[in-house]
Amino acid sequence: MNRLLIVDDSKLMRDMIAACLRPLGAVAFEFAGTGLEAIERLALAAFDLMVLDLNMPDVGGVEVVEFVRAQDRLRELPILIVTTRGDDDSRAQVLGAGASGFLAKPFAPAEILGEVRRLLTPARAIGRAPA
Amino acid sequence: MTSSLHVTFRVGTAEYAVPAAQVLHLESFETATHVPGAPSYVAGLVQVRGRVVPVVDLRARFGLPRIDHALAHRVVVVQLGTRVAGLLVDSAREVIQLDDASFQDAPELIKQQANGFVTATVTVRDRLFLIVDVPRVIGQEPAS
Amino acid sequence: MSDDVDLGEFVAGFIAESDELIATANAALLDLEAANLAGAPRPRAVRDLFRALHTIKGLAGMIGVEPIVELAHALEGLVRTADRAGSALARDAVDVSLRGVSAIAERVRAVAAQRAVPPVPAELLDAIAVAAGEVGRPAARAPAPGPTAVDAPGWDAGLTPGDRQQLAAGWGAGHRAWRVSFAPSEASAARGITIASVRARLGELGEVIKVLPRATPGQASSVAFDLLVASAAPAEALARAAATTVDQLVELIAPPAPPAPELDASEPAEAAPRDDGGAMLGRALVRVELARLDELQDQLSLLIVSRFRLEREIAALAERAVDVRALREIANLQGRQLRDLRRAILRARMVRVAEVLEPLALLVRSLGRSAQKEVRLVLDARDAELDKAVADRLLPALVHLVRNAVDHAIEPAEERVARGKPRAGTVTVTCADVGGNRLELIVRDDGRGIDRRAIAARSRRAVDADADLLDVLTSPGFSTRDVATRTSGRGLGMDIVRRIATGDLGGELAISTTPGAGTAFTLRVPLTIALVEVFSFVCGRQTFVVPVSSVEEIFELRAGQDVQPPAAAGASSPVRLAERRGQAIPLRSLGCVLALDGGADARKAIVVRRQGAPVGFTVDRMLGRHEVVVRPVDDPLVKLRGIAGSTDLGDGRPTLVLDLGALVAERPV
Repeated sequence: MNRLLIVDDSKLMRDMIAACLRPLGAVAFEFAGTGLEAIERLALAAFDLMVLDLNMPDVGGVEVVEFVRAQDRLRELPILIVTTRGDDDSRAQVLGAGASGFLAKPFAPAEILGEVRRLLTPARAIGRAPA
Repeated sequence: MTSSLHVTFRVGTAEYAVPAAQVLHLESFETATHVPGAPSYVAGLVQVRGRVVPVVDLRARFGLPRIDHALAHRVVVVQLGTRVAGLLVDSAREVIQLDDASFQDAPELIKQQANGFVTATVTVRDRLFLIVDVPRVIGQEPAS
Repeated sequence: MSDDVDLGEFVAGFIAESDELIATANAALLDLEAANLAGAPRPRAVRDLFRALHTIKGLAGMIGVEPIVELAHALEGLVRTADRAGSALARDAVDVSLRGVSAIAERVRAVAAQRAVPPVPAELLDAIAVAAGEVGRPAARAPAPGPTAVDAPGWDAGLTPGDRQQLAAGWGAGHRAWRVSFAPSEASAARGITIASVRARLGELGEVIKVLPRATPGQASSVAFDLLVASAAPAEALARAAATTVDQLVELIAPPAPPAPELDASEPAEAAPRDDGGAMLGRALVRVELARLDELQDQLSLLIVSRFRLEREIAALAERAVDVRALREIANLQGRQLRDLRRAILRARMVRVAEVLEPLALLVRSLGRSAQKEVRLVLDARDAELDKAVADRLLPALVHLVRNAVDHAIEPAEERVARGKPRAGTVTVTCADVGGNRLELIVRDDGRGIDRRAIAARSRRAVDADADLLDVLTSPGFSTRDVATRTSGRGLGMDIVRRIATGDLGGELAISTTPGAGTAFTLRVPLTIALVEVFSFVCGRQTFVVPVSSVEEIFELRAGQDVQPPAAAGASSPVRLAERRGQAIPLRSLGCVLALDGGADARKAIVVRRQGAPVGFTVDRMLGRHEVVVRPVDDPLVKLRGIAGSTDLGDGRPTLVLDLGALVAERPV
């Protein structure tokens, strides 16, 4: 069972992303509407992947990635950035911060599904204490 | 019988001369950006007067041990055709007139030892100057 | 289960959320209108407006309603410009924005009624573009309210000027400022106490100025949140709202500082729309074109992004032993076409030199007045055009040359008349395309000319040759005057002019001068320069850069993540392997490949692709990103595989640009 955290300040967007990813099969979704909530959820549970929008109030996407990457237990967490700013500069910013993938909005359902499949390692959840 | 200006400089204990026509300008030297993979006698790249120029460390080129950086160190920036390169020397200050006719062919032994870097010698009032083959020094052919 | 997902079921949600966003946008616009009357900037309202438009754009894009995307995008551009100009929207801009939002609402209703969505009227888009052009003019800015030098120990790194303003305002209103820390836990979350709920409750008691996350490894919950709150409520109430105790609160005391210098209210607030252009050259016409050029470039970037993915798919196919040669050829062709397209867009960024130089006329007039000389400027640029990036970099150099001419070269009126010259001095700036992608600009004056003898005496070298004269004049620290003149300073700028012309722009600078008659400076600059975005990093104590476009991913190696597979005995720096998301990626130590000292503890991996397969290079640490000009390094002495060129990160020293792909199979140097 894969646990995915979907972070976007638009509820509609969150729901659409979840719908796009349902074909993954054994997957459970959690949602967060702000960068702060995302950081909170990541602290309290283990996830296999996070889908993150860049443009959010308070703590923006890039800062979330940086903050998350700075924590040992979350260093390996696959982070897929989705954003309307699909330009080189955003991609570069996001890469520099340590994101694992980058997808520009609008995207077709098959695209985000493909990206998430690529990034998921089925067996392990990130964030649990090492055995 | 022509006499022309030459820029003179010192590397180790010897004094050298190159035609001033080949010299663009003299620069002081602090550090060069190391270029991985370049021959060991290339000190690196420097930025002078807006240009990025490779610098040949003449001490290394001429088989002398490295020394610490000193204020007197200079880069003699030369231009040959389209190539512009720098020669890192211990000091450089004088520009003197040298008479072609007074050039003497360098001794065979020296030419060989110096890998062809020195083509002739000239003596001016007891001072010995070695004339440098600049194209060869800056490696018109890749060094082995 | 089929992979096909139909987003049509979300139309209802789209309508509902759009209505909310439209309401937010309208509220923000009305707030900005009120702010105009009060003369105060409203960075929050601008941000809210921007985010609402941005979100509508994204959602409409997903659902597939193009006209709404167009409108939202145009308004987004207008707001972004406003944000940079001082967090305010002028009346006209507010009006046109309200019209734009109303047009969006109309189209949302069409979607709801399942009617065809009308296209956007060109007139409205034009009106928005024009408003964006006018907004961009740096008009009189509203002064910042109150003192802004606030002491906020522990917060300093995280507070923006906007935050400090709010803090100062809170103190000014008699409130107290507190740091409230909240550590989330599963138990609290189960009871409904989360960062969101804490924030909301504190928001009811006062103003939450900032929230910063903090990693707390080794504690029960691995993060904590620090909230900076300005409130008149008693400490106990705040503590309760945050599910903590009073002794955990830390109060910030207002410093007894005198009024601080005025804050530059045009400073963009955090999370504000990103700046993606160069300096504003303030011409309405250029700005309209720029908005469309930005869109062009955005579209191009999307194309480039999807090309990346195409390459990945091809690589995946290749892994499954599918013959991908034809596909690769097409992908390469596409790559070339994208490069051509990019060049075409760069050409579209050309600006007319005549427009770039317009400000010089005013400059000359005011300089002449303060120097008490009569000077006029003649501009002759005809139809010459220049890349915006080049123009931005060139203008300061031209300004300096013109200043010098007025200051040093042009004689006072009486002296000129005595010499038989016209009373007013003339500074001419001409510009012509000389072919070979070069533009030649000449700044000429009919003044004194340069006194070679005086220069030779001062510099103690011969300056008979023009090149030598130029050398001396552009040496850092050289000055023809002992006393700084009011307008030109100590003549330190000539070395910068040279640096701009020959260094930054890779062009040429020359001088010619005739005593008594005048001086001319000639600059030859390229018509376009390619700016490349790069990551900078340290490896083996040396700084390098690598183009962003060649990087696939950057990650940090954990201990034990890399292993040594079999290699020849005694092999120097054998290739290692790292496990990454179920894949084995070869790892090379860049420090070893380049035979650099140090670099033993290189834990950052930069992943590039070579013939479809990923390879990681380990380096010491990443530094940052830059947009730079890359100069070729092609002297045979330093022409090497893996070195794509050199650039200047601003420290005056060459920094090597690496082609990591070319180093993948290289033996260590």
